[in-house]
Amino acid sequence: MDFLNWIQNLGLVTWVREAPTVLAYPTVLAVHTFGLIFLVGPSLAIDLRIFGFAPRLPLAPMEKFFPIMWIGFWVNALSGVVLWALNPITFLATPVFWIKLVAIGLGVWNMRMLKRRVFGNPANLGARPVLTEGKILAGTSLAYWTVAIYAGRTSAYLPFVQRQTALALIILITVAMLLARFVPLGALGLSRPSEPVPHSK
Amino acid sequence: MESVLRYLLRWPSVEYFMSHYAWAWPLAEVVHFFGIVLLVGIVAVFDLRVLGVLKGLPLAPLQRLIPWAIFGFALAATSGLMFVTGIGANLYGVHPYDVAMTDTWLQLKLLFMFLAGMNALAFYFTGVSRTVDALGPDDDAPPRAKLIAGASLSLWLLVVYFGRLIPWGLQYTYGGQ
Repeated sequence: MDFLNWIQNLGLVTWVREAPTVLAYPTVLAVHTFGLIFLVGPSLAIDLRIFGFAPRLPLAPMEKFFPIMWIGFWVNALSGVVLWALNPITFLATPVFWIKLVAIGLGVWNMRMLKRRVFGNPANLGARPVLTEGKILAGTSLAYWTVAIYAGRTSAYLPFVQRQTALALIILITVAMLLARFVPLGALGLSRPSEPVPHSK
Repeated sequence: MESVLRYLLRWPSVEYFMSHYAWAWPLAEVVHFFGIVLLVGIVAVFDLRVLGVLKGLPLAPLQRLIPWAIFGFALAATSGLMFVTGIGANLYGVHPYDVAMTDTWLQLKLLFMFLAGMNALAFYFTGVSRTVDALGPDDDAPPRAKLIAGASLSLWLLVVYFGRLIPWGLQYTYGGQ
């Protein structure tokens, strides 16, 4: 506890928390958002490709996204520690904070599994459509990042609001996925061919 | 003009929805974030390829992911409009017009969104997108394309930055003062 209080009272931490400039706390938050975008964005692109959208995009070169994702992860780890340090005890005492950390841990583990099982396996890379193992990893990736984003965003709210929002989010996603069956996704450019695309080159 | 904008910007239905259901505002925030990640994430990947930072990806198929970025924009725009028209739910008694007129960060965000949109139009309507389409996996993009890509990446990241600062630009607080 004393250690946590000591962290909370560090000069840098106090400056971030209390300085009356947008370059302090708000900017650290913004940096955390940038890291999030570079971590989850390319991951979503890979997941979409694995599910069969943009099928002519070769999967193998998307392995180059991983360094970008790792940069995003470490930017967030660093900014995350700073943000946590602003109020360490409160965060550790908040359940949704732990949910977020677990979700991110699972997301990163999932990333490594994707790297090894899909990108590290020529059988998987060459398969059209991607083998089921790849699709499962893509699906869990989506799920973990969604939970992490939800947990991060609802951190500041009261627990009963967090619970209601979780349920509302689940319902929203379910309804959206059901509606997707009836919306002409092709006209919006969001469709994917149901037949495997033959190798063109 | 002011009275027209005052009338148009405040939506009591959205205000009621957001104040009546505790999950409405946080859900809109989560959707807003997800839309941002889809939009800026996919656009960033595309821009980094055009800039030459990421090689090995043919550009024509990469463009097939852009509709998903647009879907992300639609999610962010819808939730964003809910925040604007329903601000009275979060800050009781505050009118969207007053927020729009006094919050510098909101104004900068909207300005840079407009610039990013103009940049995108320039990409598609000046033929640059056609030259980029023809690029193979390891080809270098023409300088014009790189300029547009660099501008796109910078502009969207600035939009995110200014957007994050909006709460700190509010001149009005709960209660209308």
